[in-house]
Amino acid sequence: MPEIYSLSSEHEVADFIKNCNSEEVPIEIIGHNSKSIGRLIQCSKSLHLKNLSGIIEYFPEELYIKVKAGIPLALVEIELDKKNQELSFEPPDMGFLYTGQSNKGSVGGAVACNLSGSRRFRAGALRDHILGFRGINGKGEIVKSGGTVVKNVTGYDVSKLITGSYGTLVALTEIVLKVQPKNEESQTLLVSNINLKRALNIFSKSMQTSVEISGACFYPAKMSKFFKLNDLDTTTSITAIRLEGPKISVVERINTLRKLFDEYKKTISVLENYQSRIFWKNTTDLQFFNNSKNIVAKIILPPVHTDQFINKFENEELKYVVDWAGNLIWVEIPENDSVLLRQLRTEVTKLAGHMTIIKAPNHMRIKEDFLTTVDENIKVLSLKIKESFDPKKILNPGKMYSGI
Amino acid sequence: MSTLAMPKIDQSVLNDKDSIVRDLKKFTNSINIISDPEGITPYETDALSAYKQKPMAVVLPENTEEVSDILKYCHKNNIKVVPRGSGTGLSGGALPLADCVLLGLSKFNKILEIDFENRCVVTQPGVTNLSLTKAVEHNGFYYAPDPSSQIACSIGGNIAENSGGVHSLKYGTTTNNVLGVEIVLMDGTIMRFGGKKLESEGYDLLGLITGSEGLLGVLTEVTVKILKKPQSVKALLLGFQSVEDSGQCVSDIISGGIIPAGMEIMDKPLIKATDNYAKAGYPKDVEAILIVELDGTESEVNILIKRVEEIAKKNKSTYLRISKNDEERLRFWLGRKAAFPAIGDMSPDYLCMDGTIPRKKLAEVLKEITKLSQKHGLRVANCFHAGDGNLHPLIMFDSNIKSEMKRAEKFGADILKYCVKVGGVLTGEHGVGIEKRDLMCEMFNDEDIQQQLNIKQAFDEKSLLNPGKVYPILHRCAEGGKMHVHKGDTKFKDIPRF
Repeated sequence: MPEIYSLSSEHEVADFIKNCNSEEVPIEIIGHNSKSIGRLIQCSKSLHLKNLSGIIEYFPEELYIKVKAGIPLALVEIELDKKNQELSFEPPDMGFLYTGQSNKGSVGGAVACNLSGSRRFRAGALRDHILGFRGINGKGEIVKSGGTVVKNVTGYDVSKLITGSYGTLVALTEIVLKVQPKNEESQTLLVSNINLKRALNIFSKSMQTSVEISGACFYPAKMSKFFKLNDLDTTTSITAIRLEGPKISVVERINTLRKLFDEYKKTISVLENYQSRIFWKNTTDLQFFNNSKNIVAKIILPPVHTDQFINKFENEELKYVVDWAGNLIWVEIPENDSVLLRQLRTEVTKLAGHMTIIKAPNHMRIKEDFLTTVDENIKVLSLKIKESFDPKKILNPGKMYSGI
Repeated sequence: MSTLAMPKIDQSVLNDKDSIVRDLKKFTNSINIISDPEGITPYETDALSAYKQKPMAVVLPENTEEVSDILKYCHKNNIKVVPRGSGTGLSGGALPLADCVLLGLSKFNKILEIDFENRCVVTQPGVTNLSLTKAVEHNGFYYAPDPSSQIACSIGGNIAENSGGVHSLKYGTTTNNVLGVEIVLMDGTIMRFGGKKLESEGYDLLGLITGSEGLLGVLTEVTVKILKKPQSVKALLLGFQSVEDSGQCVSDIISGGIIPAGMEIMDKPLIKATDNYAKAGYPKDVEAILIVELDGTESEVNILIKRVEEIAKKNKSTYLRISKNDEERLRFWLGRKAAFPAIGDMSPDYLCMDGTIPRKKLAEVLKEITKLSQKHGLRVANCFHAGDGNLHPLIMFDSNIKSEMKRAEKFGADILKYCVKVGGVLTGEHGVGIEKRDLMCEMFNDEDIQQQLNIKQAFDEKSLLNPGKVYPILHRCAEGGKMHVHKGDTKFKDIPRF
C-alpha cells in the first residue's frame, strides 16, 4: 500500500513534489478517488488533494469561478445554481458507473479527465471551458497559465494541454472555469421504435436547421429499460433530441422539428421540462451502465461512420448507447471478451476514430492500453512534453501510456 | 521604424546564402524561391509595420512534403524559419529575421472538402477566413470566428493567433471551432492532431498549438467546424450618460442570464470620431454607446430584446433604438467598424492596444486611461468588446514629432500593465509576437516562462522556428512597440479593423 499524503495547501504540495523529485519517488495523484480511468499504476506515495478545497472567487456577472482543485464538483454546482448558472459542458457524475452511487469527484479530477456530458457537441467540452489554472510540475515548481477572461492569447494555451492529461503533467491546485446562465426550459422530442440509421438521419437533419438542438442520443430497445419516466416508452428504441432556452422559443422549435419529421408523427412525443432534465441527467451520468461489472469504453467517431460501425457488431453481445448527435458511442463489453475488445479497437481506428476504456477490471488496467494505440510520432512528442513538465517522470507515471 | 532586440544573427548561415538558396530549389519549383532584394521586400513586415526586416530568402512551398523537406533541411543546417500566412497579424508574429528562411503558405489556398454531413470543412491553411463562410453559406452555414481582417487573414494564421472577433462570447474563439490540423514540426515530422471527430485522446496537442504563434509547427491542413446560421439577428443601439452606466448594463445583461452574440461599447471621443467619419447616426449627447446583438429564433430574439431594453432603462440609458431590419442593424455596426480608419483620419498616427480586462473593471480602466492620456500628453479613444472584456484603446500621436512615438509606446505599455493589474491580460486577440514580448513578465514569472520555453523545446529542440517571438530574450521586461499606423497607411489599409 502506498503511503498517503493528504495536503491542504499549494505550498505543501510544491514542497512535497520537490522532495519526491529529488528522491525520484513516483507519486500517484488522487482527487476524490471517484473514477478509475487510466492504466493501473503502483507508486510508493499517494498525494491526496481532497483537502485542497474551497471557492477562491466567484463572480456571476464575469462568468467565471475560481476554485481550489480538490473542491467537490457537486459543491461548485450548488453554488452556481444559487445564481442560476451552471457548467454548460454538463460534467458527468461517474460515481454511478463505478459504484452505483452518486460521486462527482473533484473539479481537479474532472479537469484531469476532460469529461463532458450530452451537451458537448453544442457547448464544447470541459477543455473549452477552462480559462486558467495553477499547478505544481514534476520539479515542484508552481506553474500557471491563462486567467479569468475568455479572450486571452498571452502565451501558449497550457490550460488545454493540462486538461485531459490525467495528472501526468502537473498536480492541479487552482482552476478557473467559465460558467454560463442556466437554460430556462428543457424539452425533449422523442421518436420511438426507429433504427439507428434513421435516428442518425434525424440528428443530421436537425443540425442542418437553425433550431439549435443541445442533446441528441439514441438508445436501442435493449438499453432503455432502466428509465423510470412516466412519459417515456421503454419497450422500444428511443431517439431523443433536446431543446433548451426561453420556453416560448423551445416550444416553437419543438414544433418546427415535429413538422420536419412529420413522417414519424405517430411515434413522436415530448418530455416536458422536469422529465426532460432527468432524462439527460441519466444519459450524461451513464445510468445505463450503472455499476457495470464489465468493460465500459467511450468511442469517438466522425458521425457519418457511426451506423456502419454499429452494424458491424450488431450480432455481438454489444450493449451500446449513442450520444453527442452520433459522435459518441458508449459500449459495454463482457469482461472476458478480449477478442471483441480488439475488434472494436481495430474497427474504430480504421474509421478515423478512437476508443478510450473508462472502466475495466484491475488485471486489465495493468496490461491493456486504455487509450487507442496512437501514432508513434505522437507518442514521441507526448513523451517530450511529459518530460518538459516532469523530467524524472514521477507524476502518475504510466497512467496514460506505458512510459509516459 | 522601431528597433527591438532579436536573436543573434548566425553569420555562417548568411555566408552560405547562395548555396542554401540553391539547395532549397531541390525541394520545390525554383520559381517558389525568392532571394533578390526587390522580390523579398513585400515580406519584410506584417501588419505591425513599425518593424521591418528583410529575410535571407522567401520560399513558397506547394504541398506538405515540400514543407517537410524544407524544414528538415533547415533543421539539419541550423537555419531559422519564420512561417507566414497572409501577413495581416498585428503583433509582428511574422516579422522575418535577417538570417531566416521565410516560409510563406500562400500557395496552400484551396478548400479541400466541404462535409455538411459531419458539419466541417477541410481546407489548406492559406485560405482566407471569409472564404470558408462564402463556401458554405449557400446551405445556410458559416464559420463562426470573425476577426475584423477576415477578408484577408488566413485560417492557418487564425489558428496560430487563436483569432477572436466580435462574437466570441457566444461562439468562442478559433480554439473552440477547429477540429483538426496536419502540422509539420521543425525537424520535418508530419503529424495530425484531431480530425473530423469531436475530440481526440492523449494530450490536447490541438489546443496547445492553437494560439502558439507559429512557434511549434507549420500547419499544412486544417479542419474547422461550421455552424448553421441563426434564424434571426437583431441589435439594440443604447446611449448612456456615463461609461459606468454602460458597463453596469453589460454586467446586468449577463447576470440576467443573457449571452448576446456581440456587445460593443464606444466612448465619447470614438463616437465623435466615427460619426464624423462614417455618418452612422449615433446619438451625440451621450458619454458612451453600447451595441447589443442578439440571435436565435425569431420569438427568442424578441423576448431577449425586451429584457435587454428593461435592463438598459434600469441602468439609465438615455437613448435606445432597436434595429427594424438587417440594414438598420448593419448601420449600428457601421460606425463601430469604422473606428480605426476614423481615428486614422483624426491623427497622423495611432497605436492600437489589445488588453482584456474583467468586464466590471471597465469604468476604472477607462478612468486610468484618461489619467494616463493627460500624463503622456496624447489623445486616446476607446472601443471595447464588452461581451468578452477585450479593450482596444487607440492612442493618437504624430511620428513627425520625435518624442511622440516613444511617449505613445510608453502610454500603451502603461495601459497593458494596468489591464494586468486589475486581473486582465496583455492580449485578447492580436497575439504577443514581438509587440508585447517584453511585457510578458508583467503576467508571468521566470518559472512560468521557463515552463513554456520547455514546451517549445519538446517541439523544436534547436529553437529554430520563429525564434525571438512571444517570449522575452533574456527575460528582459521593457516596453515593446505597438501597432503603429502612419497617415492611415497600414500595410492592409483596405481591410477593416475593429
